[in-house]
Amino acid sequence: MLLTEKDAKAITERVMSFVKADDAIVNVSSENYAHQRFAANAFTTGGKREGMNVGVTVWVDKKRGASSTTETDESALRATVEQAEQLARLSPVDREYLPTLSQQTYKPASGFSEATANVTTAERARVVDDVLKACERANVTGAGLYQTQAAAGASRTKNGNFYFERASLVSLGLTARTREGDGSGYFLRNHYDVRRLDAARVAREAIQKGLNSRNPRTIDPGVYPVILEPQAVADLLSFFAFSFDARSAEEGRSPFSAIGGKTKMGEKIFDERLNVYSDPQNAELPGSQSAQGGLPSQKIYLVRNGVLENLTYSRFWASQKGVQPTAGPVNNIMEGASGGASVDEMIRATPRGLLLSRFWYIRSVDPRTALVTGLTRDGVWFIENGRISYPVRNFRFNQSVIQMLAPGNVEMIGRPERVGSSEAQGSSAALLPALKLKAFNFTSQSEAV
Amino acid sequence: MTTSRRDFLRTSGLTLGALSCANALPSWMIEAEARLDAAAASVNKPELAQIALSTARKLGATYADIRINRYRNEGISTRERQVQSVGRSGSFGFGVRALVNGAWGFAASRNVTPEEVRRIMTDAIETARANARYQRRKVTLVPAPKVVTTTTWRSSFERDPFDVGLEEKIRFLLALNEAALKTKGVSFVNSSMQFVNEEKFYASTDGSQVEQYIIRSYPNFNVTAVDQTRGDFQTRAAFGGPQQLGYEYLQNYPWLQEAEQAGRDAVEKLSARPVEAGKYDLVLDPSHLWLTIHESVGHPTELDRALGWEANYAGTSFLTPDKTGKFQFGSKIVNFIADRTQKGGLATVAYDDDGVKAQRWHLVRDGLFVDWQTTRDLAAVTGRKESNGCAHADSWGSVVFPRMPNVSLEPSKENTTLDELIADVKNGILIYGNGSYSIDQQRYNFQFGGQTFREIKNGKVGPMLRDVAYQARTPDFWGACDALGGGATYRLGGSFNDGKGEPSQSNAVSHGCPPARFRAINVLNTAASRS
Repeated sequence: MLLTEKDAKAITERVMSFVKADDAIVNVSSENYAHQRFAANAFTTGGKREGMNVGVTVWVDKKRGASSTTETDESALRATVEQAEQLARLSPVDREYLPTLSQQTYKPASGFSEATANVTTAERARVVDDVLKACERANVTGAGLYQTQAAAGASRTKNGNFYFERASLVSLGLTARTREGDGSGYFLRNHYDVRRLDAARVAREAIQKGLNSRNPRTIDPGVYPVILEPQAVADLLSFFAFSFDARSAEEGRSPFSAIGGKTKMGEKIFDERLNVYSDPQNAELPGSQSAQGGLPSQKIYLVRNGVLENLTYSRFWASQKGVQPTAGPVNNIMEGASGGASVDEMIRATPRGLLLSRFWYIRSVDPRTALVTGLTRDGVWFIENGRISYPVRNFRFNQSVIQMLAPGNVEMIGRPERVGSSEAQGSSAALLPALKLKAFNFTSQSEAV
Repeated sequence: MTTSRRDFLRTSGLTLGALSCANALPSWMIEAEARLDAAAASVNKPELAQIALSTARKLGATYADIRINRYRNEGISTRERQVQSVGRSGSFGFGVRALVNGAWGFAASRNVTPEEVRRIMTDAIETARANARYQRRKVTLVPAPKVVTTTTWRSSFERDPFDVGLEEKIRFLLALNEAALKTKGVSFVNSSMQFVNEEKFYASTDGSQVEQYIIRSYPNFNVTAVDQTRGDFQTRAAFGGPQQLGYEYLQNYPWLQEAEQAGRDAVEKLSARPVEAGKYDLVLDPSHLWLTIHESVGHPTELDRALGWEANYAGTSFLTPDKTGKFQFGSKIVNFIADRTQKGGLATVAYDDDGVKAQRWHLVRDGLFVDWQTTRDLAAVTGRKESNGCAHADSWGSVVFPRMPNVSLEPSKENTTLDELIADVKNGILIYGNGSYSIDQQRYNFQFGGQTFREIKNGKVGPMLRDVAYQARTPDFWGACDALGGGATYRLGGSFNDGKGEPSQSNAVSHGCPPARFRAINVLNTAASRS
């Protein structure tokens, strides 16, 4: 059962009434999650989970303890609070303790849809059946996940703050492989509102990519001009706005650190048309009303016109540095200065290069330069004279994300689209554009399809 | 792979900090803990199982099971001379699955009551029926012998970490930090310990009933040295890794010496010579090699991948059923064992979540690929008579599906030492610890970094190198393995959180191996490939 605001108020008040500690935060969350998985053109696992979790963090003489439970009868809640308090008494002083927030004023976010929360088992089965029918018609083998989630949660502090919010999510991802195993396509989209998720498009695009990637040719690894479709950008950058931490930059261990204990704040380290920001009120990608577990979230720019405009300060680090804590980020939006080009326009503007649909298994190699490695997956095509010529085999890349977006390397920026990282299975979302880049570094071949 | 739930919560804004905090203390000291224990213990699991299974039979299930599980997590994290967080989390609930007309249905709830068990099993059956209407290929299971455990099976541990006082744990971590900070030039140290306790109950319509109690421990640290004059920094993480052992693991392993060495290594890395890209012979220590085994041997021998069941996420496999017993996976000295009975192995159990007894079997024998990891439904698809016991779910709220057993490389029968492996290398690199890792969706092309890299010249270990990663193709790499350490050099490494499946689940799994030598492997300089 999803918590209502009334329930959430009651349970957080009840838990707080058990608290004897000097200060405390009580969090409660509930979720209704359902999924239908399919593979080899058949239903595999499907089901539902109803969950609730109550967490309490307390400070006794500035000493911190935390405890959480899924059991919500009065005895369990009381025991959970006592456990947190006993942990706190046994702990050393929390040197980063700051008093919890007093009542804040929030602007409600809108990322919840009743329609998404009410999707039935039969409806999920029908959506998957339609996807499998499309695969069967195209003579490809489909595998994927359709999931829906509704969540509601609240937070209360001993100093009087309370907020409640709800969110929903629906996602559909499909991999369409040819029967011969020589082609594979992928498409994934999600939304908070099930009425705005185009399941037929997901099926169509994945199948088309699978069929169009058959019989790939082998070309040498090396540095190529590339066009990254929004999915590929999401796979690399879906959490980009969350990577601008001030503390690690000032401690000298971030790509935004500069020589002599300084940071690169104020420097134009990205293409001057690029903007990266967080906006809780964005209609397509609503963010949480609260940042850092309580601060009312606001629109904040991390990068404006290519300049590193903000690093994000936690409440503690801000207090150490005498600055205001950052009211974000709560979502990740990247856009160019103008309206944005389509992928087709980018292809027409490419004399020689590669079109990439997805990246896979991306891991940090060198945190000093945000250098990552990973592979292309589910569609790489060679472009000649403004047209797609033929599919090519997959590559491994080693590429600095910072240098990829640096002045001189970004040629065209697309219109932002709501996409999610494929490694996060559609559970993350960001507004990201397709990108046309002058150089991207492929270091070896992969024969995987 | 990473967990998707955290990503969803971040996206949707429900980032309520304490919800995901996993932390803890001694149960015998705390009355509150005792009360939570008592609440969970008061549930009559066999009686609830009867309700679930009779409901399932009545509603037409050909198979059903119920898992009533309680999970406890403890965690402490510190940096330098301060404790950052101390906490605990508990999770108690049940999950049921039912097979109806060849389709699965699953449902789970945290309310462990007779009424809820009836409702949730009915829900699972409704899901199975809804799916069966559209099902293209009926799910069947191979049989598993009925088993009823009379006592709870306990994993191997001497000292239950949930009975160890908080002061002792904090003292341990702060001592690690001090050891690392001894070296001039060390700027930061982060250390942590995590403990997991799983109390698992399983019952099925086969008449089986199993109870298990599992403990896992994971101490960890990471040392950072910053050179602000050059704007450079280097890190050195712990080699030790997690084990399915109790608190004795923290006392028996030389953590303090390793933290001190890590401080020296981090500082030395700042001035280490960048590697020159090219072909090198590699000697890989078990603290590094376990991860290469995990990615290039553990995952491609999962039968569900080969059948396309993971195609949308983790991927498929370069191994296919027709290659069983025919494909030369590596050189003739290479033998890989799958083992759910291995002491200390993170995936060790008495019975899997299909009710199948834990087993030990060859995946690769004398370099030849000979067998798979299977579950009861996978075995049925491929015409096998029985499962080798790889079914697992990471929570009462998660679906049971195929997960990796401990997969280990057998040592040489000779008493070969690390020095003997190195002595026969003219131009090579000795690698310790796991660093960056990435592999393609069919497990051919991989790239691994490490924590420390030492040059080997003419059979002698030389100075430290930096910016090292190697890239290879799985069968070529294992084909280039020409020497293994002996039994005395065998060590167990492992992962606390191996991600797989949709929705994503986490599995703990170990990989044992001796140090091993590989000829002429492609090494790149990562700092030179920023583009």
